[in-house]
Amino acid sequence: MTTGVLMYCFDTPELNYHRLAERCVEQIRKYLKLEITIVTNLETFKKFKPLGMINYKLVENSTTNTRPYRGKSVAWYNKERALAYEHSPYDTTILMDCDYFVFSSTLLELANTEFDMMLHDRVHDLTGKNMILGKDESTLPLVWATVTLFKKTANTKAIFAMINHVQEYYPHYRNLYRIRYINYRNDYAFAIALHQLNLGNRIPTPMTMLADSVDVIDSDGDGIVFKHGDNVMFTSGQDVHVMDKEWCNG
Amino acid sequence: MDIGNIKKHSDLNFEVAQAKKNALEKLRSRQLMAYNERLFTADANTINIVSTLKQHNKDFYMLDVNDNPCHIKDPNDFLNKLIERNQETLNSYQQLHQDLAKKRK
Repeated sequence: MTTGVLMYCFDTPELNYHRLAERCVEQIRKYLKLEITIVTNLETFKKFKPLGMINYKLVENSTTNTRPYRGKSVAWYNKERALAYEHSPYDTTILMDCDYFVFSSTLLELANTEFDMMLHDRVHDLTGKNMILGKDESTLPLVWATVTLFKKTANTKAIFAMINHVQEYYPHYRNLYRIRYINYRNDYAFAIALHQLNLGNRIPTPMTMLADSVDVIDSDGDGIVFKHGDNVMFTSGQDVHVMDKEWCNG
Repeated sequence: MDIGNIKKHSDLNFEVAQAKKNALEKLRSRQLMAYNERLFTADANTINIVSTLKQHNKDFYMLDVNDNPCHIKDPNDFLNKLIERNQETLNSYQQLHQDLAKKRK
């Protein structure tokens, strides 16, 4: 039985996602010590610094989606994630955004249990300002696809088939679940698929997060220092989803 | 105390309270523990129930965090692992708690 990490990483005209992925790889090596596969495009692949033993899978990504980021609308190449079941070479996959940074071995504990698919359904905003979740965003029990653990089972195959279907007919499902957010978002597609199929386990603790208005000002192998308004705080030994996409630019 | 100092005091209290909340989230996350392919929380509840059940049976069944049953064949081994993880997370929390107490003085 193999276990590994699968990441999707596509630079956009505005943001250097490969820099985040490079940092993410360092953290995975330190705390999870698992094999890593990065799905990317040729343009982004050429920008990666040498990272040692990494499996790269080159694809031509869809470039039709956008998202709001710090008051602007920016390109968002997020649709390939629906193909993770086919792209993953592992029996147990930790599918992870390249802006999720591990500072503990918690994901290994989760990977060593029995499940089809497991993801977060709650978040913890480290600033205490509760900036992540809006109110009445949909009628759907929301999950976060940022970290998705899955095993190659018949159930998971069905979930990913459903995610692809939801992606294809997204306007219909968006309308059905009264989703406010207009553009395609994996969190919703995964949530819809799990709701339709009545499958999936939840990670029992919330995902620790920092909103995109929070600046990461420093980091080491054990944690990060972040600033919001006048407050400067730090994390240590705690996995965190950082929505500031520019902190690794140097 | 003038309003400026009260504001500073309030900001410090917010910061300390938030640091405590974040540390507790870290503690809960680190208490997640895989055992026989099931997921448990190494908290006081789990430790208590394992400790109680092991006094009555050599082996027993327990529900994990996802309500899946788990056959506990070696309660001593399980209890030791739970206590070890529990104390590891509490030691780390205690250190932070001390730092926060100093900050407040």
